This record gives sequence, structure tokens and C-alpha cells, in this order.
Amino acid sequence: MNLLRLRRCIGAALLALVAPFAAHAADLTVSAAASLTNAFKELGPAFEVQNPGTTVVFNFAASDALLAQIAKGAPVDVFASADQDAMDRADAQKLLAAGSRRNFVGNALVMIVPSDSALGLKTLADLQKAAVKRVAIGNPASVPVGRYTKASLEAATLWAAVEPKAVMAQSVRQALDYVARGEAEAGFVYATDAAIMKDKVKVVATVQTTSAITYPIAAVNASPNPGAARQFLDFVLTPAAQAVLARYGFGIP
Amino acid sequence: MDASVWITLALTLKVAGWATAINLVLGVAAGWLLARRRFIGRELVDAVLTLPLVLPPTVMGYYLLVVIGKRGWLGHWLQQSFGINLIFSWQGAVIAATIVAFPLVLKSARAAFESVDPQLEQAARVLGLNEWAVFFRVSVPMAWPGILAGTLLVFARSLGEFGATLMVAGSIPGRTQTLSIAVYEAVQAGQDDTANFLVAITSITCIAVLLAAGRLAPVGRVR
Amino acid sequence: MSFDVDIVKTVSSSERRSFRLGVRFHAQARRTVIYGPSGAGKSLTLQALAGLLRPDSGRIVFDGDVLFDRDARIDVPARLRDFGYLFQDYALFPKLNVRQNIAFGLQSGLRNPSAQVGGAAVERWLQAFELVEVAAQRPDELSGGQRQRTALARALVHSPRALLLDEPFSALDPALRLRMRKELDELLNRIDIPVVMITHDPEDLEWFGDEALYLRDGQISERLPLEA
Repeated sequence: MNLLRLRRCIGAALLALVAPFAAHAADLTVSAAASLTNAFKELGPAFEVQNPGTTVVFNFAASDALLAQIAKGAPVDVFASADQDAMDRADAQKLLAAGSRRNFVGNALVMIVPSDSALGLKTLADLQKAAVKRVAIGNPASVPVGRYTKASLEAATLWAAVEPKAVMAQSVRQALDYVARGEAEAGFVYATDAAIMKDKVKVVATVQTTSAITYPIAAVNASPNPGAARQFLDFVLTPAAQAVLARYGFGIP
Repeated sequence: MDASVWITLALTLKVAGWATAINLVLGVAAGWLLARRRFIGRELVDAVLTLPLVLPPTVMGYYLLVVIGKRGWLGHWLQQSFGINLIFSWQGAVIAATIVAFPLVLKSARAAFESVDPQLEQAARVLGLNEWAVFFRVSVPMAWPGILAGTLLVFARSLGEFGATLMVAGSIPGRTQTLSIAVYEAVQAGQDDTANFLVAITSITCIAVLLAAGRLAPVGRVR
Repeated sequence: MSFDVDIVKTVSSSERRSFRLGVRFHAQARRTVIYGPSGAGKSLTLQALAGLLRPDSGRIVFDGDVLFDRDARIDVPARLRDFGYLFQDYALFPKLNVRQNIAFGLQSGLRNPSAQVGGAAVERWLQAFELVEVAAQRPDELSGGQRQRTALARALVHSPRALLLDEPFSALDPALRLRMRKELDELLNRIDIPVVMITHDPEDLEWFGDEALYLRDGQISERLPLEA
């Protein structure tokens, strides 16, 4: 094989290796809080239909974990968080595109128990019963729903009694799973999450939170696809998208 | 935070220590059986016992959760008969780490026993030793370097076990939050300093153990 | 002593060939030699006598003691047959010194003898075989002759009722072989223990065979009682 053909072959091989990693020019990467999983998975295809040529890629996890990724330079276009705290920190670290932040849905905090629970729990105070051994709570250090829960329990002066029984979950979905499996006698998740597993958990109380639960969404400063990012931000506030979110139990922001 | 790091380290060593001890016994026994006993389906058994190494830890964690969780057949029985609940307990973490790391000592032990000259075992038999004596006085000492290497791998793997442990034991500070889980949570919460500190502690611990264990394998010496 | 043997054993080798051993003999001499070419089945026979190999069928009787009887479901394990066995490569324990090797069978627990193990029997054999100077050394530090003597001492230390030797001289060079034959001859005269030896060397036959069994292709073909 002569030198020219060899070089061409090597070039082709290198290209083949690199090609899968070359970002698709029209990818939109959305990092969204875990509680938005089901709703956003339905909104994604809808957005793609309205914006042909764009592929929406989702990344779901606890809001703080997503923030940590973005802070370290992950190529994310849109960040949707479950509480203002995480978004505030993103703002403080100058990760957001100026003026793009807005609230787009609201949610409620509920206390759930396994659907076959016979403990008769009805209020927050019932968590003090001896029969309640484990309470699934999102880790307040890294999960918004945990922060809401802790604030509410502190307001009811129950945090000291509940904390020893707390099993810290990495995300709201994990807290939901613990209760659904019966590994925890009670747990705190968003109303939207409880609705997803209607057959395995039942809501026994809606918890008053110290601040209203509103979800902010923003475009990321270093977004690889700022045009599509803005379009997505506008999209989630359209009546059609809001209707989808409402169907999953989300409220108006 | 400072005091709790040492608690986390102690817990991590406890879990890894138990997992290593259990695996040493199980791995040596199973490795010997596979090396010295012929039976139908022997290689199939070997392959199945090696599965935990090949399956992703989260998948193993899921299977464990299903089996030993409150609604699982084993977990339910344990709950009813003994009041034992393994989920969210350090014992659950030990089980997760044990199962995930088991193939490492199994493979090493089997290879080590297979490399022992069977004539030595035969000689011991003719000299009047029963099978247990042959095992402890001839087979194990001759296979020891390989067994030890496998055991160290198990310890290192147990120390770093994360996926299955998180699923089964959760992350309860002081009870089931091991060093690897603590690192993960620190990163998630954006606490880089904490994460760096924990990583340093873990690394130093691992190196210290490996160095100390190097003293246990003097070649050519028997007690 | 008398060995009454009538056994059949089929062994399949890794190349998918199978070898059928079918031997039947009654050996009564003080020193019996099983003689035959390589691959004839000599080792298999000796291992069967020692209890290291289980025949498919048949009987093995030593001095009236039934060691193996397939139909009666008797199979005395090797450790209870009270024979001394010398392996072709000696099978000395590489991590134990000479003392520990010799004393190995005297200790029945789960621990090996200590490096300085003593005792009347051990000292006697160390002296008899001139191994006192190398008593603290490991097998890999010994000469071929010393290794063989250590292996013999190990086999004899608990006064077995018979000695089974697997090609004892084939690993030695010719000069050493001659010397070792003489030594073994003297030793056997002194100790007076019955011996079954397998070999492919006709010289061994001359030296040791009060009675010889010729083994070929897994079968005894003719008996050659020799002049003592």
C-alpha cells in the first residue's frame, strides 16, 4: 500500500473513531430535576415536532447533582431545578444566561405511605409513633425535596424527632421507591411523584411548606446551542406544554 | 464534619473487613471444590458464581433489593422468623460488598489450587492424613500466595463498593454511609473540599492495607 | 507378605484414548518387582495398591486384610492402609525442611511439625540416612540422593507394613543409581520390610526381584520367579 493510500486509510479510521463523539449540531441537552422525569419525557418529542432538526437529550437527577455537573463544565443547554436554592447557587456561580431565568411550574409536598400500610398515619406528628421506623427523605444537602421537608418539619418542631429515623435518598424518585417497596413506613415526595406510583403509595397529607414550591428554569451560559435553549424555555410556558405538566400534577408557578 | 469522617472510615473498614473475611472462607471453599472435584456442570457453576463481577453493581443491587427487601422471599422470611431487616443496615452493606467481590477470590483460589501438584496431596494421604489435614497442611499453604492475592483484591473492591451498597443499604451517616458513598454525596452537594479529603483518606487507607498485607506473603515460608 | 490383586481400571486420557488396566496376580516374595515398558500401567497398579486410585472392579488383599472389594463395597482409604510410598519425583513438601518432611506423617492434626521437630524416630532416621547435617534445609537445597533418602525416611518413619516404590532410580544419573541401589539393598536387608517396586530398568530387576511380574499394555503377561 503506498503512502498516500495509507494516509487516507488512517484519516478515515480516525474520522470513524471521532465521529460518534462529534456533537450533533442540533442537540439540545436539558438537565432537569428528577421529579420532572415523566412530564419532560412527554414534552421532549412534542418540542422536537415543533422544531424539526433538533434532538432533545434529557439528564435527570437531583437538582444539586445537576448543578455540580454544570459547574464542572458539562455541555448542558437548559437547567430546570426543583427549588430556587439550587438555581440561586447557579446564578451566584455565573452559570446562567442573563435574563433567561423564569419560574415555570409549581408543586406540592406530600407525605406518603405504602399503599398497604396499616399504621393509620395521618399527620406529621404521627411520624413520632414507634411503629414508624424509617422515613424516606431526600438528602437536604443535595436534594431540594429534602430541603423543603426539613424546613417544614423544623417549622413543626418535629425535625429532631424524625431525623434519627430518616433514610436519606439521593433523589426524590429514590425516596418514592423506598416507600413503594415498603422499606420505609413513610416518606416525603412531591405530589407529582406520588401520582406516578398511585398503585404503590398513598398520600396521607399535603405538607405546608415554608415557601411555595416553584420550579425555575434557565438557559446555561456556556450552552452549546443557545438558540434552541431559548426556544425550549419559551416552549415550556406555552399553554400546550403547561397542560401536559398539569396532567402530571404540576401547578401554576 | 471532622469527627464524622473517622466514623465513616471506621464503618467502611468494618464493612470491607467483614466482606473480606466471609469471602476468604467462601472463596477458598468454592475454589477448592471447583479445582479438585469433578461434577456435571462444573464450568456452568463457575460461570454463574463469576456473574457478580460481570453484572453492573447497580443491577446486583437491584437483585439484592428484590430478594432481601421486605417484600422479597428471603427478606420477608428473615423479617417474619427473626425480625431481621437487612435493608438500610450495615449487615446489608456487608452482603452487597461480599457478593460483588466474591468472584475475585474465587478465580484466584481456584487457579491457585489447580496449580498445586496433586502428588503432594497424594503423598500426604499415604502418610496418614485425613482430608481436612491434607487441605490445611498441604493444599492451602501451597496455594496461599494466589489466595492472598485474591483476598486483597476483594478487600480493595469492598472498600470501594458503591452501586450495590447504595441500593441495599442506603446512605445513613454513621450506619451505612461508607467512604465511597460519602464522596459521591459530597460531589453531588458541590462540597469539593469534603470530597477531596474523603478521597485522600480512602486512598491512604488502601495503600496502607496493601503494604501491610505484603508482609503476609513471604514466598517459601510456612508456619 | 502376600498381595492378592485382581482389578480392572479404565482410564481415559485427555486425547480421548482410553487405557484398560486389568491385572491379576498373587505376589508372595519379600521383594516383588513389577517390570514393564513405559505406559504399561505400572504406576496405576502401584497407586491402586496404595489406595490412591480406585479400581472400577475387583479385589485387593494384603496379608489377609481386604483393602478393596468392589462387590463388598470395601475401599480402605490410603491413610489407613499403612504402606510407605516413594513417589517417582519424591513429592517432598517444598516449604518444609528435611526434619519436617520426615516427621510429617507422625503428626495427625491440622498443623505441620515445627521446624525443629525432634523425637526418637525422626532422629533415628536422620542418623541412618546421614541427613543430620542437612536436617534444617529445604528440598530444593538438597542433592538428588539426599532427596531420595529424605523421601524414604519419610515413608519409613512410621514403620509401615510394606514399602511401595515408584521407579526409585529413574531420576538419578547412572553412577548415583548404582550407589543408591546398593544402599537400598542394604537398607532392606536391615529393616526387613516387604517391598513392591515398579521399574522399567532391567538392572533393578536383577538387584531386587525375588519375584517379578511382567506388565505390558495393562496386563500381566508372564511371571518370572528369579533366584534370590
